[in-house]
Amino acid sequence: MLKKPDVKVVLLGDMNVGKTSLLHRYVEKKFHETVSTVGGAFYLKQWGPHSISIWDTAGREQFHGLGSMYCRGAAAVIFVYDVSNFQSLVELEDRFLALTDTASTDCIFAIVGNKVDLTDECASVNETEGEKPCHATTGSTAKVRKQVHVEDAVSLYKRVLKYKMLDEKEAPPAEKMCFETSAKSGFSVDFLFESVFDTVVPLLKKKANGPSETVDLTDSNKAMKGTRSGCCK
Amino acid sequence: MSVQAFRLVCAVDRELLPQVDKAVARIECLECCGHNLYLGTSDGFIHHLLLEERSGAMPGHSTFSASRQLQRQLGTKKPVNELRAASALNRLLVLCDGVISLVHMLNLEPVPSGARIKGAVTFTLNENPLSGDPFCVEVCIVSVKRRTIQLFHVYEDRVQILKEVSTPEQPFAVAIDGYFLCLALTTQYIILNYNTGASQDLFPYSSEEKRPIVKRIGRQEFLLAGPGGLGMFATVAGISQRAPVRWSENVIGATVCFPYVVALDAEFITVHSMLDQQKKQTLPFKDGHILQDFEGRVIVATGNGVYILTPLPLEKQIQDLLSNHRVEEALVLAKGARRNIPKEKFQVMYRRILQQAGFIHFAQLRFPEAKELFRSGRLDVRELISLYPFLLPTSATFTRVHPPLHEYADLNHLTQGDQEKMNQCKRFLMSYLNEIRRTEVANGCKEDIDTALLKLYAEASHENLLDLLGSENSCIMADSATWLEKYKKYFALGLLYHYHGQDAAALQLWAKIVNGELEDNTRPDLFEYIVDFLTFCTNQELVWKYADWILQKNEQVGIHIFTKRPLEEQQKNSFRPNDVISCLHRYPKALLQYLEYVVLDQGLQKEKYHTHLAVLYLEEVLRLKAVVKGNCMELAEVQKKFQHLLQQSDFYRVHLLLDKIKDSDLLLEQAILYGKSEDHEKALNILVWQLKDFSTAEHYCLWNSENKDPIYKQRLFHQLLSVYLHSDRPDESLLTAAVDLLNHHAAEFNAAQVLRQVPDTWSAQLLSQFLVGAMRESVHRKRMSQLTLGLAKAENIIYQYEKLKATESSIVLSDKNLCQVCRDPFLEPAFVRYPNGSLVHTHCAASRHTNPSSTHHLSSPSRRT
Ligand SMILES: Nc1nc2c(ncn2[C@@H]2O[C@H](COP(=O)(O)OP(=O)(O)OP(=O)(O)O)[C@@H](O)[C@H]2O)c(=O)[nH]1
Ligand SMILES: [Mg+2]
Repeated sequence: MLKKPDVKVVLLGDMNVGKTSLLHRYVEKKFHETVSTVGGAFYLKQWGPHSISIWDTAGREQFHGLGSMYCRGAAAVIFVYDVSNFQSLVELEDRFLALTDTASTDCIFAIVGNKVDLTDECASVNETEGEKPCHATTGSTAKVRKQVHVEDAVSLYKRVLKYKMLDEKEAPPAEKMCFETSAKSGFSVDFLFESVFDTVVPLLKKKANGPSETVDLTDSNKAMKGTRSGCCK
Repeated sequence: MSVQAFRLVCAVDRELLPQVDKAVARIECLECCGHNLYLGTSDGFIHHLLLEERSGAMPGHSTFSASRQLQRQLGTKKPVNELRAASALNRLLVLCDGVISLVHMLNLEPVPSGARIKGAVTFTLNENPLSGDPFCVEVCIVSVKRRTIQLFHVYEDRVQILKEVSTPEQPFAVAIDGYFLCLALTTQYIILNYNTGASQDLFPYSSEEKRPIVKRIGRQEFLLAGPGGLGMFATVAGISQRAPVRWSENVIGATVCFPYVVALDAEFITVHSMLDQQKKQTLPFKDGHILQDFEGRVIVATGNGVYILTPLPLEKQIQDLLSNHRVEEALVLAKGARRNIPKEKFQVMYRRILQQAGFIHFAQLRFPEAKELFRSGRLDVRELISLYPFLLPTSATFTRVHPPLHEYADLNHLTQGDQEKMNQCKRFLMSYLNEIRRTEVANGCKEDIDTALLKLYAEASHENLLDLLGSENSCIMADSATWLEKYKKYFALGLLYHYHGQDAAALQLWAKIVNGELEDNTRPDLFEYIVDFLTFCTNQELVWKYADWILQKNEQVGIHIFTKRPLEEQQKNSFRPNDVISCLHRYPKALLQYLEYVVLDQGLQKEKYHTHLAVLYLEEVLRLKAVVKGNCMELAEVQKKFQHLLQQSDFYRVHLLLDKIKDSDLLLEQAILYGKSEDHEKALNILVWQLKDFSTAEHYCLWNSENKDPIYKQRLFHQLLSVYLHSDRPDESLLTAAVDLLNHHAAEFNAAQVLRQVPDTWSAQLLSQFLVGAMRESVHRKRMSQLTLGLAKAENIIYQYEKLKATESSIVLSDKNLCQVCRDPFLEPAFVRYPNGSLVHTHCAASRHTNPSSTHHLSSPSRRT
């Protein structure tokens, strides 16, 4: 019997940023041409004792309304943008962030800049060197200017936490949850998914154990000390 | 892409249909309950038909025929909008002109009580009610009142309102499961718990643009028409557990017939798989406007025709997929079917599908995939082996399963004679069999597997052939032997014989290879291998049988069959040296080696062997001396061995040897032999006079006095000295030798005697070293004896003192004193007193004395009476 998935991970992001391609790359270790996703799709991944369902959503405006339902009860949301397209990052905040209202309260977030293969990572070096305009030189291998840098993703991550009213100190740190990937080359793709799973799974156990029934005095003491020292400063 | 999942079959002949001639009346709705088919028409009629299914020639090819029963027009001429049967109540619920009436299922008469529900736009029955009353159905209506849903309990002839729920927007369609309503509102779908009032948004949808669809498809799960022609799944918890399927934009109705979603639009019926979301089948169907499932039976209807979608058996569908080589889809479908098929049946079916899928991959040379499928499908490997011509043993009783798992007669057929492909297949089988032969998969057919593997290895001249035969295996003898002969693997064949305990046959074969009668150069060192084999062979007869052959080939290596036998066997001494020696008489080198083995390694103390060996050495020395001139390594070596033996051994016949070499120039050997017979004078004379080898003479004294008492040694040294001194012809060199001897071995001589012996002419200077040495030795000896004497005296005094102390005071013996040993009083005046003061009976002391273990705390008894 198929095991019921016990963890839900949802990929969100504007159309064409490469959500489907990332998932293909991870699941099939291949990159092939995709068609714009209709509705959504999901894959099951066995991760230790857990069965994780990874939902690929459609970025097209038409299907935007489905997002909330897909996010319902999600344990992790992966926001995907295209590093060569600044607008795709903006959309995450404008359009997609609100969809996560239905996600689980301790949902974690990852922010992924895809298609790094397109950008010339040494573009910044080249700029200072020759001040050459960034135009296509040899057809398909043309590199484009990177429009979004990791720092942008990091600051978005912080705004996401703020929106979710999560404590920055308790949520996974931004350095750990902001990624740059290429579904085309496979760069960092496994790392992305595995990091997310590894972050999510320990949280599940906590949840499964539930809040402890007894009052933990040591813990509350610590908390009190913390606040006191905080206000004395 | 397509599968045939369903066949569309006409359910009701046209002439049976109501008023076909009247173009105005059309079928508005229908209901099917068991054999009863009800149609509601646009002119307000309900028609009752009986439906009969006749199974066809093949499964899934059944046909239907219908017969007309009653028909009845409800009061108005308004169209009948919806029909629902409540078979437990024997009632049909009819929605017509905003009113739901209850009519009898068979005679179609309204219930006498006239119970009805008014003000309904549409209604649905709760198929999963929580009330638990079997004589009541839960009806949910979308009311004509704005934004209102009402729930009723309907009994045989009465109706009772249960709940009225108001909704945030106007509802258009409703489905119900337990307490959960799934509602299509104006702009979105929601889930609403009518018991608690809690609601959950699903997703937005514009009901103005398209007609919403809300369909309960199973426990707690609904199918909804979503944006962009999507068929969306949602649970009562408001989440989606399945990926959506993609319909056309204008779907009118949809339902699930596991594992398929069937949808209807104006032109087609489409079938999507819920398992992989792919569209599997498209059936052209014009003007359809009803698609519903009734107890698993999907019925579609146009305004004037009723058709049934009969599902083809899953197994058939899967087989179709497999025959189109669509392995993945077939497996998904099979897996998805798990819950619809009894467990045992499923497992048998699924295993078979896995195996078939494995063969499909195999035929495309995708071996890793094939292997995995064979493994998980627990394929009887003989199915696979049987594809390869001649690999199964002729004795095998195996026959392929029927129906066959694949379409191939054999590998030639499969590869169409492509040699390279054939080889790939063979290599795959090799590795596959090798992998599984020790696993439980192999149980019951180990012989077939190992024999097949042997054949493959032999054919490919694979090195593993020898490993296979050299370790535990189940190769069938007859079959394997023929095959190995065919491929000229005679060495391997020998191993096979050996494995089956037929060492004689193995040796015969191998000997033939060595003799060049058979050709097989698997082992260039086959001769050594045979020697080794015989060395460890427990069958003595075989060893004897091949001894001659072996020794003829190579005496030095061959002799190992006797000299290198395993230790445990050596101890049993199963080969008697006499027998071996008589066998070896024609092989002098071997004989020599054997005697060396017996005498030197084994240390047998038999005169015969020692003498024999010595004689052989002697003969060899003499032979070599005769042929070579000058220095010869070989000669030196043999001579050294000879001398060594003469010196070390005490078992050979000295005189026999002496006789043999008396006349030769083997002086040292003569000297040794004289020494052995205690004729030291002769020996030393030879050494000194004839050989003039003084250092050897000195050594002679040393080695001959080894393990003998010092007097013997002294005598030898004096004897040597005498030889030096009392020569008839005074010889300067002898005198020097004498001086050296004295000076170097001062301690071995009796100095006084020496001084009497040496010529008076010798200066003290000459002998100073000797004198000093002798002096020192004698002083040393004197002091040592003084020391010993002194120590002995001291010890004596200590004992005297102790005795004195023990006896100086008197001891009073009363009946209070008890013997320390037996705890009895003393009855006689005699007793024994130990130095520590304890008193015991004399007899107790005696018995105690013989039992030293108990005397540890009493020491050195002193007796007193
Ligand atoms: N160069 C490059 N192209 C990529 C990469 N990832 C995706 N693409 C391309 O970007 C296009 C869109 O990719 P998809 O994976 O379909 O994007 P999506 O996010 O799933 O889009 P929607 O399904 O419409 O939301 C395709 O043409 C991909 O080939 C990448 O890492 N590098
Ligand atoms: Mg996509």
